[in-house]
Amino acid sequence: MIAMTHAGYVAAGWIGTAVLFVGYALATVRRGRRLSRQVPPEDRRWS
Amino acid sequence: MWRDAALVAGRDLRIEARSRVTVHQVGPFALLVLVLFAFALDPARNILERATPGLYWITVLFSALLALARSAALDEAAGTRDALRLSALDPAGVFVGKALAVAAELAVLEVLLAFGVIVLYGAEPAGVGLLLATCVAATVAVASTGTLYGALVSGLRVRETLLPLLLLPVLAPVLIGATRAFEAALGGAPADGWPWCGLLAVFAVLYSVAGAFAYGTLLEGS
Amino acid sequence: MTTTLPPRTTTGPADDAAPRVAAGTGSPATRVLGIGALVSSALLVLYGLVISPADAEMGDSVRLMYLHVPAATYLYVGCSITTIASGLWLWKRTPGWDALAEAGAEVALVFSVVTLGAGSLWGRPTWGTYWTWDARLTSTAVLVAMLVGYLALRRLELDPAARSTRAAVLGLLLVPNVIVVNRSVEWWRSLHQGSTLVKLHPTVEGNMLVALMVGFIAFGLIFAWMMVHRFRVAWLDQQADRLDLEAALAARRAESRTADAGTAPASTPEVTS
Repeated sequence: MIAMTHAGYVAAGWIGTAVLFVGYALATVRRGRRLSRQVPPEDRRWS
Repeated sequence: MWRDAALVAGRDLRIEARSRVTVHQVGPFALLVLVLFAFALDPARNILERATPGLYWITVLFSALLALARSAALDEAAGTRDALRLSALDPAGVFVGKALAVAAELAVLEVLLAFGVIVLYGAEPAGVGLLLATCVAATVAVASTGTLYGALVSGLRVRETLLPLLLLPVLAPVLIGATRAFEAALGGAPADGWPWCGLLAVFAVLYSVAGAFAYGTLLEGS
Repeated sequence: MTTTLPPRTTTGPADDAAPRVAAGTGSPATRVLGIGALVSSALLVLYGLVISPADAEMGDSVRLMYLHVPAATYLYVGCSITTIASGLWLWKRTPGWDALAEAGAEVALVFSVVTLGAGSLWGRPTWGTYWTWDARLTSTAVLVAMLVGYLALRRLELDPAARSTRAAVLGLLLVPNVIVVNRSVEWWRSLHQGSTLVKLHPTVEGNMLVALMVGFIAFGLIFAWMMVHRFRVAWLDQQADRLDLEAALAARRAESRTADAGTAPASTPEVTS
């Protein structure tokens, strides 16, 4: 009889995914900010 | 192109003949790995016997890493790269030549390991046709793939650690195919093994072609 | 959920004398993508965890599939982007393709971790083990190794042109390698497929189907947002390298000029990156 709740695993998966996505997003944005300080605005082609 | 290949293969093999690295270092290393497996897997002979195909090909792969790193290193000496580029040698020929040289060295190693496995693990050769065909196909596959990837990491300080990381995942199908083919041959059911040998052959052809095409770009680009 | 895009540093009335300098890789486009990603993610949480029912056989663990399947999909999209961009770079040599290839691989790696993570966590209650050597998980593991290798090659200290060339050759081979490995592993595992008491693919219908669709949309927007930002980071990286190179060359030229003039060479200005 397979249990109807595997709450722990589901929670771990969803929370882990969220943490990973948010963490990577923040790291990338931060890296982008740091780099864009070194590069004058003309060399960027967005915003 | 074939003339260039023969030229390069000849050079690589002559260097090997003079230095004897394969015979004196890689060979003993390969046999040592076989021995280590026996230590690790316990002379409960059953495990070794059943695992013989896998252990054999893993040992071949590890030894190939050494041979390939050495093959790539041959051209890293200052100026050799440029000399290769400036020479009128067809890059595809250089690739094929190097791959053939490595293949020859691997073939020697495989024969050596075959004896090792027969003696140390008590393997009984059967389905020899399939065994040989598998060895040929797998050797070409490993040599051509490895020569291409060797060029990707050549000249880098991290060459020794990066080459295994790049090459081994790519060679997973070769390991799978060669092991299954050997299992079929040694298990008395070669009919099961020939399709795997076919996979190896396809792999070998694909990477030989890819390598021949890509080698020129790599020689120029770096 | 935390905000993904912080506001610009300059606020208040526009100052014409001092032009606004964007603080990073954001843009109106990414703001739209970001908001879309957040909204659809919220919907996914709603549908995936609350509205959709537990599977009749698998139980609640099916909710992990709403993560695993979209993640695997975009993993393959990312790899394809890397391969195609690598090929285009080798053909056209425009730096944008090189940056795109790098972005594709890194974002793909992130999605691969989600794929394997959700997959193993699903496997534990379903099969009893975190890992099983089924075709999908095994192939994905090999793919992760390839991505790690590709990204390792990209970090090497080489002159940028050589590094990009080598990475492009490796990247071009990425998808072909993945296909060959997938086929081989599937063939191999099909020989050993024991009977599985649990369906691998639950019949997905009704709210479960909706949850899955929302998952595809949410992950797609997240993927796109990450790709744009990561691409721009790679682009900035290239520009920064180029500027460093130009500065170093200029410094060396200045040095040789003063040396030629017979005076003691001025100390080379510090070139910090």
